[in-house]
Amino acid sequence: MSEHTVKAYDAELDLIGAKIAEMGGIAEKMLVDAMDALGRLDIDLAQRVLMSDPRLDALQREIEDQVVRTIIRRQPMAIDLRELMASIHIAGDLERTGDLAKNIAKRAIKVADDPRVMRAVVGLKHMAEVAAMQLKDVLDAYAQRDIERAKAVWTRDADLDALEDSIFRDLLTFMMEDPRNISFCTHLLFCAKNLERVGDHATNIAEKVNFMVTGQSLPMNRPKGD
Amino acid sequence: MNPIYASRRRKNVIIRALCYFAAAFGLSFLGLILFTLFWNGLAGLGLSVFTQMTPPPGSNTGGLANAIAGSLVITIIGVALGAPLGMLAGTYLAEYGRHEKLTTVIRFINDILLSAPSIVIGLFVYVTIVLPMGGFSGFAGSLALAVIVIPVVVRTTEDMLLLVPNPLREAAAALGMPRSLVIKRVAYRAARAGLITGVLLATARVAGETAPLLFTALNNQFWNLNMTGTVANLPVTINNFVQSPYDFWRQLAWTGALIITLSVLTLNVIARVLGRERNTQ
Amino acid sequence: MTMISVSTDNFQPVATDSPVKVDIRNLDFFYGDFRALKNINLGLAQNRVTAFIGPSGCGKSTLLRVLNRMYDLYPGQRAAGDVLLDGRNILDPREDINLLRARVGMVFQKPTPFPMTIYDNISFGIKLYEKLPKSELDGRVEAALKGAALWKEVKDKLGASGLSLSGGQQQRLCIARTVAIRPEVILFDEPCSALDPISTAKIEELIDELKNQYTIAIVTHNMQQAARVSDFTAFMYLGDLIEFGETSRMFTSPEKRETQDYITGRFG
Repeated sequence: MSEHTVKAYDAELDLIGAKIAEMGGIAEKMLVDAMDALGRLDIDLAQRVLMSDPRLDALQREIEDQVVRTIIRRQPMAIDLRELMASIHIAGDLERTGDLAKNIAKRAIKVADDPRVMRAVVGLKHMAEVAAMQLKDVLDAYAQRDIERAKAVWTRDADLDALEDSIFRDLLTFMMEDPRNISFCTHLLFCAKNLERVGDHATNIAEKVNFMVTGQSLPMNRPKGD
Repeated sequence: MNPIYASRRRKNVIIRALCYFAAAFGLSFLGLILFTLFWNGLAGLGLSVFTQMTPPPGSNTGGLANAIAGSLVITIIGVALGAPLGMLAGTYLAEYGRHEKLTTVIRFINDILLSAPSIVIGLFVYVTIVLPMGGFSGFAGSLALAVIVIPVVVRTTEDMLLLVPNPLREAAAALGMPRSLVIKRVAYRAARAGLITGVLLATARVAGETAPLLFTALNNQFWNLNMTGTVANLPVTINNFVQSPYDFWRQLAWTGALIITLSVLTLNVIARVLGRERNTQ
Repeated sequence: MTMISVSTDNFQPVATDSPVKVDIRNLDFFYGDFRALKNINLGLAQNRVTAFIGPSGCGKSTLLRVLNRMYDLYPGQRAAGDVLLDGRNILDPREDINLLRARVGMVFQKPTPFPMTIYDNISFGIKLYEKLPKSELDGRVEAALKGAALWKEVKDKLGASGLSLSGGQQQRLCIARTVAIRPEVILFDEPCSALDPISTAKIEELIDELKNQYTIAIVTHNMQQAARVSDFTAFMYLGDLIEFGETSRMFTSPEKRETQDYITGRFG
């Protein structure tokens, strides 16, 4: 895309893009760290995840402010308008992703007191890897304006839904085996739900990337795993 | 101080002083003329000037009544003949013929006519009207003045109409107005003050013309408004009286000159006022 | 923060139900030897607003001036092709230009009130083609001023000069004048470029109301204005019609690179 006649306009858009990228990096790291903390019952790591969240919130606000200012100043049209709209949505999705990671970290701290069936965490870790991969892919798709990659993320969300189902069944089994597992497994169940939500946010981002680049929306009905 | 700026300021002071001097020089002569005119003219100004006929040689009573009336009539007829013609021609140049090659030619010729010496125009009317008709006449005088009026009015009419913004014409045409109505109802109206000013200035210009009348209306010592014969008029009367040996005649000449000057001045002031109204609209 | 979801799936075809009022076909336009319009094809939908945008010299004003044959005032300008108004070719030399202009009104960039009273400014145009008794004429003048949302402001000074009004009022007077002769199509040539934002908003509001009765074409340099007032937008560049489509789509996801560059300010 060639440059705007007004150079400051490009600078404003670039700045917003850079902030989105920073948010993406933080959210990814929070997710991975939270899962590691859960897997290793590492309370320090979990605390660090919690401390990352304010930065993510602040960035989201900055992006919103910056977008509003740019709209006021430039009255953006076409690709620029779509890019700004996408930015504000993506920032929201990433902020929510951070919240979900934070929630996993909190649960990691809670279950560290009374760890039970740690083998139940294995399936969850696999699901977390898929979710993290989705997030990474969609952020790359955003950075490179790559709609094929975005569409792939969008389609692959069905895998996460399927994984959540199977984890749900596993956890149910553990809970039936021994009622003392219920508390521990319920936390894991919520974690699974969180990971599934992360996947949804990745899908949202994929949709925004697609709209931003093409001006077209993806179909309303996404292939579902359930 | 920056030397370039200093020298620029010095030059500015010098040039400004020269401008003031030039203006004062020109104005002082104008003031001198006006002063002499009032000094000499006011002395003879009285009611009798407007009521009595021009005096015979040697007489010490009389006025300029016949000359004033004759001048008025000759001028009014001259303007009445020349102004409409000039306005029509000016309208052609500005409206219908604006993009024609002919317009450039006409404008050029009109400009020559505008600066033609009035005595040449007097001679022209003398040769084409006075000689074939077998004698001097007030009508011939009016014709000569009309020939002077035409180029002035052509020029002012064209200029004034060209000043009317084109979007106004387009707006009128966009309502489905035919060309003739656009000109008559919109362009003329927008330029009205300017058009009247042009006619007034042309009137002022011919009011004091002497040379064309010498060859056409000549002069008449008596009251005569019959345009087929010689008609008394101020400029020629002044011309004759001022060369005479009689003091009373020379006094009347000064007074006549003052009257012409004052009427021309009045016309100019009216024209100015009208022009200003147009600008503030 | 509530976001407006812009999705092309939600765009209803705004006016597929509207018949084409003015059909421009294979239109070329020449200033002397210079070809200012190149094979233009597009239709103005009835009771819709069509906006023409593009950089200076792209031919958008020229195109507008073809639609009421304003160019006929000037020698050396000519159009080739067809412009069908209700199926009749207005470029036909036998077409009566004055009658055409009574059907296709035009509002100009700068307000152009005639040097006469407010009342006369409007009655003048009506009287060109209709002989009405005074009472009826009064009614028409009032209706036109109301139609241009000017009646309240001038009803007590109809005898005042049209030039005594403010710029925005003058422009609405010009719109009233155009509306008074009951045209079918109204052409706006950058109608707000000399007006302040409030007056601009009033004119835009007016255009929105006028489209219920008239077919409207507007040339504007202000893209936000085009986005606000029009149903369809045509982007022109160097005499070519680059892209033509629904306004909502044109300003969110134009198809052509040139359109995108122009409306996002990436031009040249």
